[in-house]
Amino acid sequence: MQGKDDDDQLRLARRDLLRGAAGLGATALLATVPGAAAMAAEERVKAYGTTTAQLKNWDLMTKSIGVTVDYTPTNSDIGVFMRDVMANDIGDNVDVFFFDGGTQNVLGPQGAYAEIDEKNPELTLWDRTPDAWKRSDLVRFDGKQYGIPVIGNGDCFGYFPEKIGANPNGQDDVSWSVFFEDDRTKGRVAIDRSWLQSLSETANYLNETGKQKIEDVADMPGPVAAKVVDYLVERKKAGQFRTIFTAFEEQVQLLGNKEIDLINCWEPATKEANLKLGPNATIYAFTVEGYYKWLIEATIPVQAAKRANIDTVYKFLNYMLGGEYRAYQAKERGYAGPNMDLGVKYAQDHNWPKEDVELLQYTQTKVDRKYKKPFFCKTTPVHASEMEEEWQRFLNA
Amino acid sequence: MAISTAAAPRRYRSLQLGRLGRLPIVIPGFLVVWSLMVVLPLLVVVAFSFFQVKYYKVVYQPSLDAWISLFTSGRWLVAVRTLRIALTMTAIELFLAFPFGLWLAKGCRSVPLKAFIITLLTIPFFLDPSSRTIVWRAILGSGGLINSGLMHLGVINAPIEWLLYSEFAVHFGMIGSYFPTMVFPIFMIMSLIDDEYLQASADLGASPGQTLVHVIMPLAIPGVMAGIIFTLVPLMAAFVEPQMLGGGFVNLLGDSVDSALRELKYPTAAALSTVVVAILAFCLLVLILMTRKRFDFANMFTATHR
Repeated sequence: MQGKDDDDQLRLARRDLLRGAAGLGATALLATVPGAAAMAAEERVKAYGTTTAQLKNWDLMTKSIGVTVDYTPTNSDIGVFMRDVMANDIGDNVDVFFFDGGTQNVLGPQGAYAEIDEKNPELTLWDRTPDAWKRSDLVRFDGKQYGIPVIGNGDCFGYFPEKIGANPNGQDDVSWSVFFEDDRTKGRVAIDRSWLQSLSETANYLNETGKQKIEDVADMPGPVAAKVVDYLVERKKAGQFRTIFTAFEEQVQLLGNKEIDLINCWEPATKEANLKLGPNATIYAFTVEGYYKWLIEATIPVQAAKRANIDTVYKFLNYMLGGEYRAYQAKERGYAGPNMDLGVKYAQDHNWPKEDVELLQYTQTKVDRKYKKPFFCKTTPVHASEMEEEWQRFLNA
Repeated sequence: MAISTAAAPRRYRSLQLGRLGRLPIVIPGFLVVWSLMVVLPLLVVVAFSFFQVKYYKVVYQPSLDAWISLFTSGRWLVAVRTLRIALTMTAIELFLAFPFGLWLAKGCRSVPLKAFIITLLTIPFFLDPSSRTIVWRAILGSGGLINSGLMHLGVINAPIEWLLYSEFAVHFGMIGSYFPTMVFPIFMIMSLIDDEYLQASADLGASPGQTLVHVIMPLAIPGVMAGIIFTLVPLMAAFVEPQMLGGGFVNLLGDSVDSALRELKYPTAAALSTVVVAILAFCLLVLILMTRKRFDFANMFTATHR
């Protein structure tokens, strides 16, 4: 019953009625405009979501499958995303969302997301997509398929190897202790303002090193989160952290300016920084204790499921499962995803240099290596409110 | 004759305004409009602070959770810090703006230069606060202009870390942003002070210092009060400088409200906003009580016309 009410709340907004009337008028008007039919036939989708789910050059896709995308990027702030979907009805204007897997646990039952039509004829790569990706809890809820896995990785931290005496080839497992407790890095560490990531990464470190016993590092009840925050406050007061950052661009800037020595950033930030600093100047770590393992899913707003371009939407999503998208995401951002074999094949078919092909193969190996260690993130933890409250203590200390 | 011709339309307008003021609808009309536009939303905000959020959804049942969490999460410390920084910054701006405003109004005799300076003072209003503030990172950072320069000159061996991501950096970044809101009202009120008052003071044997203390400062109080209010109020909600230059270590109420809104914790954001309004109301009350013998708020910009 609760779900039904929420559904109604989302679908029966008064302004939808007005919009519908306006839409009818616009359609009638459009029919009289020369060339309007050609415009309508253009295969275009509007997407909204995490910055790094984008290709750096969408023209590649347009050339390959004839679909054009208008992509509105956002950061990985769960609150902003939920607000835009739930309160701002952004699905009225958007065909596809890209966000960390897990939002379907809340937005699926509320009726904001449409279930994926696995039989859509445009979704030709769905059947060959491994279950490990497409049946992950991060794209499903309550037995229903709400998302299509797009990219994934295990997040940890980027570092300058010379600052911590690490092997410059970046292949050794580095302990998170250099991030939290090492005197060499004191006052030179940047920590993400996102409690979802930083709090659970800290909890995982404490759990794996036996400093605290935590049942679920990604979803902690208030008292458990409080102990983790106590530790972070102690480290903050000890002067371990140089800054608490918020945005992807900030990650790149902090690394690029060498303002810090370590940062629990996204992998693409190290790649962007290396464009300025030189190859392997910064390294994205393999760690001893584990990673914030995530995947970004593509979801379809319930409003978009009824639109005329729904087949184009599936064609677009199918592209995300294909070789071109996979190859470029791995090359440009270091992200893996389903059907990496197609990415490798794409690179070979398009005569990419040998080292680039090897990089794609390495990306898969890298993510496999990371995925063997704890822990999977939870985008919408049940104890979100308590965790956020405790996180404020860290920010305010 | 010419004077009476020119004065006639002014007198007519004044008469019309006087009649308008006596219309019985004016005061109730203002009160209704103001209540609907300002007071009612404020009351809604206060009311919202007594609800709670569960799993990203507002639960419309009365609760003190949001208020209790202000203390358990340490958000009350943010209120104290915000008030401290806002008052410090207001004092700094006043200290800088008063002599500058006095010079601009009475010392600067070149009209083009005065116009140029006033134009310069409006620049902060042209730029987006983030764009304006982020520039300081490149200047204050450990590899920034200042540290590099000092190291190059051999003044320091290692970068001065506290130049960025510190309370110093936040205060420094705020100076430019909030200077115009303090200096304009002071400049305006100084400009309204009749030069003959200053001349008379000098003729009666007062030193420049005595003229400043006994003539200029009392007459400038309305502008100073306006400057304090226009500066203190936005400072209570500042979040760009703390976020970009404080490096997350100078969490102010603006950041805290923003953080709560990002997590869809509307009741918490409402409680914090209520705290801001309460603090501002308290500050205003203190200001009124402190100056009630010398200054009437209703005559803020008419004091020098007596």
